[in-house]
Amino acid sequence: MIADTNEFPELDKTKFEQRGTEFKLGIPVINAVSIGNSIAVGFGDGTVRIFTSGQCSEPIKAHKGIVLCMSKDGDHILTGGDDGRFLKISLDGEINEIGNFGTRWVDNVTANNGNLVCSSGKIVYLWSPNKKEPKLFEHNSTIGGIAFDAKGRRLAVSRYDGVTLWKKDYTNKWESSNLIFKGSHNKVSFSPDGKYLVTTMQENLIRCWRLKDNVDFAMSGYNTKVKSFAFVGETSYLATSGALGMGIAAAICWPFDGDGPMGRKPTCLQYSGNNQVTFVEPFPSEKAVFAGLSDGSVYLSEIEKSSNTIIIRSFTESEVTSIAVTEDCSSILIGDMGGNILWTSIWDEKKS
Amino acid sequence: MEEANKQVPVTVLTGFLGAGKTTLLNRILTEQHGKKYAVIVNEFGEQGIDNDLVVDADEEVFEMNNGCICCTVRGDLIRILSGLMKRADKLDAIIVETTGLADPAPVAQTFFVDQDVADRTKLDAIVTVADAVHLNSQLTDHHEAEEQIAFADVVLLNKIDLVDESGLEVVKERIKKINPFAKIINTTKCGVPLKEILNLDAFSLKRVLDVEPDFLTSDHDHEHDDDVTSLSFVSNTPLNMEKFQEWFGNLLQTKGQDILRTKGILDFKDQSDRYVFQGVHMLMDASPMGKWPEGKGRSSRLVFIGRNLESMNLKEGFENCKSA
Repeated sequence: MIADTNEFPELDKTKFEQRGTEFKLGIPVINAVSIGNSIAVGFGDGTVRIFTSGQCSEPIKAHKGIVLCMSKDGDHILTGGDDGRFLKISLDGEINEIGNFGTRWVDNVTANNGNLVCSSGKIVYLWSPNKKEPKLFEHNSTIGGIAFDAKGRRLAVSRYDGVTLWKKDYTNKWESSNLIFKGSHNKVSFSPDGKYLVTTMQENLIRCWRLKDNVDFAMSGYNTKVKSFAFVGETSYLATSGALGMGIAAAICWPFDGDGPMGRKPTCLQYSGNNQVTFVEPFPSEKAVFAGLSDGSVYLSEIEKSSNTIIIRSFTESEVTSIAVTEDCSSILIGDMGGNILWTSIWDEKKS
Repeated sequence: MEEANKQVPVTVLTGFLGAGKTTLLNRILTEQHGKKYAVIVNEFGEQGIDNDLVVDADEEVFEMNNGCICCTVRGDLIRILSGLMKRADKLDAIIVETTGLADPAPVAQTFFVDQDVADRTKLDAIVTVADAVHLNSQLTDHHEAEEQIAFADVVLLNKIDLVDESGLEVVKERIKKINPFAKIINTTKCGVPLKEILNLDAFSLKRVLDVEPDFLTSDHDHEHDDDVTSLSFVSNTPLNMEKFQEWFGNLLQTKGQDILRTKGILDFKDQSDRYVFQGVHMLMDASPMGKWPEGKGRSSRLVFIGRNLESMNLKEGFENCKSA
């Protein structure tokens, strides 16, 4: 497949756009995951495409309607769709159906130590290697998000009124405990050191639990729901989507070093234009974050030296929904709701 | 990106089990050739819906953390509507079927509360299917039946072939007493032209101006204090904006749980524009809607649908808002 050429005048293009490859597919980009030096992209027509070195594969017809969620298991892609299917897909397009839940959507997928995990409705399903039937983790309400800690011994499941924390004891039995806070919890993540658990909520804030004593607190001040968040660096920052005031695009970064974010102010990385930051993605191994905006533009900033901000992609008028960086940190893929994709190298010359 | 900015209309189908919701749903889906619909059904729904795109929902209601116990929303709808809006092929409409015992308020409030939902979809209308034979007893026995009538933009009075004329009148009067705004359509087997129930835009402020409430002239004689009733007020004297805002804001804050729906057109002193609002419990959509029409008198009209309305001193409160 050959990339469509972009019709924007050259003058408006960043150097990243000029040396990169642009694709105008016209299909909403929903998610992107890097696998080695390829990036798998899930679309709003149920297809998955694999991008490698600026080339796009033929579409893999994975789901009937939408690729709702995406993750990876080693060198395979995991997807969940609105056709109720949980799939494992190889980079050359071979599809293996792990589970099928009919008219119930598969809202979350992940993998850990060879276990394949998804959520559909109120239940998390976990397939252990070589076992045909999944283990079921049942909850009282529909699941917003799932996340393993770094060691894979704890599984956090967000839902209404809090998080169920499943812990595997040394006989490999799973025991659950509850972290309670009223309201609807969406995405969930452990901090990289495993000391904190954060969730996005239906309200305009992030809820956080310090796990050593289950003290909970809010990170608030947003003027909208937080759509995207990511930990940046080993134990440094939680970068989040958002805006300042009534609309100055900003990635808001909360400090998680020392005693954590309680009582501390976040670093606000501001961008031009009166938009929202809709997607954040860490630059692996750096204290730097890619921020995608509602107008399609994407910036890279160092959190502690915010004067070091560069523009990666100029606007497309369509909300950024995905950013992924290849595992060797050489290239980046940006996708938006309008189906515009940019693949470009991050460094001026190949980093040796 | 204009396509993506177009809001997809969402029609909510309510009604007691056995009233004919599934019959109506299948009618919509088979008659509208060439249109793409998504249907969101509940897990206790009757089977046999003939559509490509059927999504199972759980009717999960949660309270927003905004200090208001009546501000409940359907979390599953936020999730499903947000997902549907990511589809590459655009939908012509979305239909949400609720269980027989569902309160329509959380469904309606979802469209006020979630920005993504409000940006990409709009609540088109609440259509309540009622069984002409059983509605009267259901209204007496189940407060959910009252709420479904109270929130309705259209009441499809079904199975009218099974009641006599006087029985039909009794049911209609009962519906009007609860909700003078709802359009009542008589049907057998839900046979209704689809333009009567789809694309009504009933929640837009513009439509508030068009709908003339059908008030009963009879007294409000009701059997229980917690019956849902409606009250309306008219004033030809312009209102004082500050006084009105203070009274109305306080009223919704303290009595929002009992006030199910409100609609109004307001004439404020020294303002050239008409002010129009409509609300669900304490959530409100309000805006100036252009100048008053030439040649016609200016007047304020205000309608409440709810429980225990008589205990709220509404008449006195409204009178106090008149400008001196």
